[in-house]
Amino acid sequence: MTAPFPNRPRADAREKVMGAARYGADHQVAGLLYAMQVPATIAKGRIAALSIDAAMQVPGVVRVLTSSDFLPPPPATPGAPPPPATLTTDIAYRGQPVALVVAETLEAAIEGAEAIRPIYTVAPAFTSLIDQPGMVREAVKPVTAGDAMRAMARAVTRHKADYVSPPQHHNPIEMLSTTAIWENGQLTIYESTQSSSNTKGAVMRNMRLTPEQVTVKSPQIGGGFGQRGGAQRQTALVARAAMLLGRPVKLVLPRGQIFHNATFRPKNLHRIEIGADASGKMIAVRYDADQQQSREGQFPPDYHESVPMLYGIENYHGTAANLRIDTQAPGYMRSPTPHPSCFAFESAVDELALKLGVDPVAFRLRHRATTDPIHGHKLSSCYLSECLTEGARRFGWERRSLQPGSMTLPDGTQVGWGVASGAYPGSAHPNIVTLRVNADGTTRFAAAGHEMGQGIRSTIEQVLVRDLAIDPLKLEIAIGDTSVAPQHTTAGSWGTASVVPAAAEAAAKLNTAMAELLAGRQVAGNLHRQLATVRRPSLQVEVEHVAVDQGPKDLATLRKGGTALVGPDYSTFTTYSYIAHFVEVHVEPGTRRVRVPRVVSIADCGRVISPRTAESQVRGGVIWGIGAALREATEVDPRYGGWLNNDLADYVVPVNADIGSIDVGFIDRPDPLINALGAKGLGEVAMTGCAGAIANAIHHATGKRLREMPFRIEDLL
Amino acid sequence: MRPFTYARPESAAAAVRAFMAAGAGAHYIAGGTSLYDLMKLDIEKPQHLIDVTTIRGLDAIETNGERLRFEALAPMSAVATDKVVLRDYPILAEALWKAASQQLRNMATVGGNLLQRTRCLYFRNGAGGTSVGNTYPCNKREPGSGCAAIGGLDRGQAVLGQSSSCTAVSPGDWPVALVALDAYVEVLGAGGSRAIPIAELYRLPGSTPNLEFTLQPGEMITAIVVPKTKAGRHSTYHKIRDRESYAFALASAAVALDMDGDTVTRARIGLGGVATKPWRATAAEALLAGKPLTPATALAAGHAAFADAKAGQHNGFKIELGARTVADALTIAAARNRS
Repeated sequence: MTAPFPNRPRADAREKVMGAARYGADHQVAGLLYAMQVPATIAKGRIAALSIDAAMQVPGVVRVLTSSDFLPPPPATPGAPPPPATLTTDIAYRGQPVALVVAETLEAAIEGAEAIRPIYTVAPAFTSLIDQPGMVREAVKPVTAGDAMRAMARAVTRHKADYVSPPQHHNPIEMLSTTAIWENGQLTIYESTQSSSNTKGAVMRNMRLTPEQVTVKSPQIGGGFGQRGGAQRQTALVARAAMLLGRPVKLVLPRGQIFHNATFRPKNLHRIEIGADASGKMIAVRYDADQQQSREGQFPPDYHESVPMLYGIENYHGTAANLRIDTQAPGYMRSPTPHPSCFAFESAVDELALKLGVDPVAFRLRHRATTDPIHGHKLSSCYLSECLTEGARRFGWERRSLQPGSMTLPDGTQVGWGVASGAYPGSAHPNIVTLRVNADGTTRFAAAGHEMGQGIRSTIEQVLVRDLAIDPLKLEIAIGDTSVAPQHTTAGSWGTASVVPAAAEAAAKLNTAMAELLAGRQVAGNLHRQLATVRRPSLQVEVEHVAVDQGPKDLATLRKGGTALVGPDYSTFTTYSYIAHFVEVHVEPGTRRVRVPRVVSIADCGRVISPRTAESQVRGGVIWGIGAALREATEVDPRYGGWLNNDLADYVVPVNADIGSIDVGFIDRPDPLINALGAKGLGEVAMTGCAGAIANAIHHATGKRLREMPFRIEDLL
Repeated sequence: MRPFTYARPESAAAAVRAFMAAGAGAHYIAGGTSLYDLMKLDIEKPQHLIDVTTIRGLDAIETNGERLRFEALAPMSAVATDKVVLRDYPILAEALWKAASQQLRNMATVGGNLLQRTRCLYFRNGAGGTSVGNTYPCNKREPGSGCAAIGGLDRGQAVLGQSSSCTAVSPGDWPVALVALDAYVEVLGAGGSRAIPIAELYRLPGSTPNLEFTLQPGEMITAIVVPKTKAGRHSTYHKIRDRESYAFALASAAVALDMDGDTVTRARIGLGGVATKPWRATAAEALLAGKPLTPATALAAGHAAFADAKAGQHNGFKIELGARTVADALTIAAARNRS
């Protein structure tokens, strides 16, 4: 088994602090043109007429692209989602781009975009809320284990309630952007994407180009959070403009356009019933989950992936449905379905524990999961009980009084302590990596992966520096670039587990190759020095790493830029990461402000590869949990459609002043089956359950049970 | 993004001359923290910008005389950290530092802040600019077009002073504190200079919500004058919002008290976040005069402040929240400088 890793600084910390890290829109190129999208100002309908004359008269505007500048949608590819639409005359949602204005300056592009006023044929009706006429409900296959109906019937204590999570937008600080360069029949795209491969595939298909003609580069991402996992609509628009004009073109979307065009977390509804037997153990769950969906959207309502893995409840019946309305497509947003499902379920568990008169930590510890009840496999590792026990110890949980509303400060402030758990699936993909050590002191590692601030470079560096005698300051980690290695989407907390085992294999292979090269000679110094001594400029190895259950077919899929995932249900086991959050809230006696002075979060992500960035990931997840529980919601006025609060002033995320102490801990025990390093995912599990712990803490403070996020001041007045 | 001319006069008188000469579409600009934002949203469309930031001697902070006098171009951050203001007028310091962010406070001026426009979502997001595809009717932005906030998502809207044309909240914190302290502004215009009591600087929306201020065309605020009062030491600006920084008030209360022991001899109470203009809660002030400040009298004063409030669909909570904010502010103010 691997030993614990040391706490090293973030690999790119210095670059980032110095402002030297280069993000998608930072790429400078001579002769650049600037683009701006024109957003549709109706919620549904069709463009009857669009004149570009006024825009073309703006000095500096060189071209306006409209739907007629684009090829029809490409033929369907089996097994792959269609690439995003380009410009169309049909308007499916407010804010959809209807034209792209390209100009010599950004100012001219904006002025040109403002000059375009299409004439629309407005649809007679549209549906912008899930409870309005015109919503189409579409159920998906239920997820079941055992016989939930029968078990529920014999339950002695039951709890049933509805829980709601609102629409939310990711809002990474870095805007969505695309820079496209068309030169000598070659298209190069600079874009902060979590999937340079998806972006490449979509542009290729939309533009009818070959794989050899397209390169996508995404070296640093200013926050991904799932918003950048799929191909973006704007990429093909900008690429088309660059190809038509023969000059490089850049588009940076304004924040309001991102709200209206990027994916978002859809509103979702949870009806949960839990039954416990006479011994106070949970024996049955019935869980119906519905989510807001666009007319054509594909984001699956997978609300039953994490909850069944928490407590080993043998009888489970989960349904799910899409509620299709007129909006842009929702999508993956950090801890996509497990964040709201763990909020809902862990609130319900808290309510049931209270009904049974049992401490909520003790109640959870009665239910240690060892198997995946849905697939019947053993869990490769599950240290949730250890997370709960360690969290309770650090938090001082034994000093908690069970009765809600029983802990107050001298000024009347109500104090509440809440706990909740979370889980997130452990998936992985293959990786074809190249490692080269040079005599000049440099090292280069190229692989599939994207750095969105989560610290994937830091995890790779940890393994390479552990296994190779190299100069870490001259280590280049080339990822997020379709020209350096076959790329795969980095999302779903599978990045680290899909790259560090490959890095370890490559390091081992290189050490073997070095030993062969030296053929028994004792040469002093690190690998660079040894190569110099034997007069070899460099030594390079390539490794084709596959995850558990994977083989040549998956490598072929990876080479083609496809999705080659396996897990969390593998052929003989199931893998999930776990976390337990302990939250203290203070509720003011008068104005009822809710403050969160401290959180303790203990995670089981297998072996921690990079303690520094791992802690940062959990802290970020907790802060987002606080934001989701207390602040974030994107609002729709059903008379107009679109999003009303579409900037960072009015879409309220927490600020530093809202965050207290966050104590992060790890079980740090390797998973024995998932990969050679024992590393499971972390980024998403960090957030799961946090909102539930806040809801439970508010109930403990006030006796009031809040079941619809966000919990605002008016809910407690 | 629309073309405009730009002038940078060197005196206040020259600025007024430039404004009058430019005619329609002229607009003064100081820190730019509000105007540029509104220009990007396609709400403000100035044709002539008259930049007043290089006028010399218009940023003085005078706190030693009979009055506090803040010249219009003093940055919010400078007034918020003035020693006398910090010591004797927490109501003013807190109103400034609880507004915006440090970066904005460094740029924004105390004069320009008085003219900040509403944060009503339908006002801001409905002009159809390129940043958003939304087009909402708004009587403030386009007179006669209607009000989308009435019958819409009105959680942030006013419960005091609204009309059937407009429910937009006056967004400021600083003007609320100044209203409580009976400040006045000095203005310079084509017809010379005059003083305007701060409460009279603002109009109720009535049927003309597009008219927000009583300034005449070309009139420029040159200074803010606050009569000194011992009540400043028993004062606070208490602001309740959706997050603890970088957010506008859901409800706020500016309170300054003249105290005789535990008895309030005179209360000054301003309300923010709840009204269509910086609001003076005179009924609450009258209720407290001559009474000891207790939790009960404080809450009664809070409720008196909102006796005339009217709720929309989603903002009814502001009435109770506002009352409790006043009560908490009174308690905080009374506890200060008890010596």
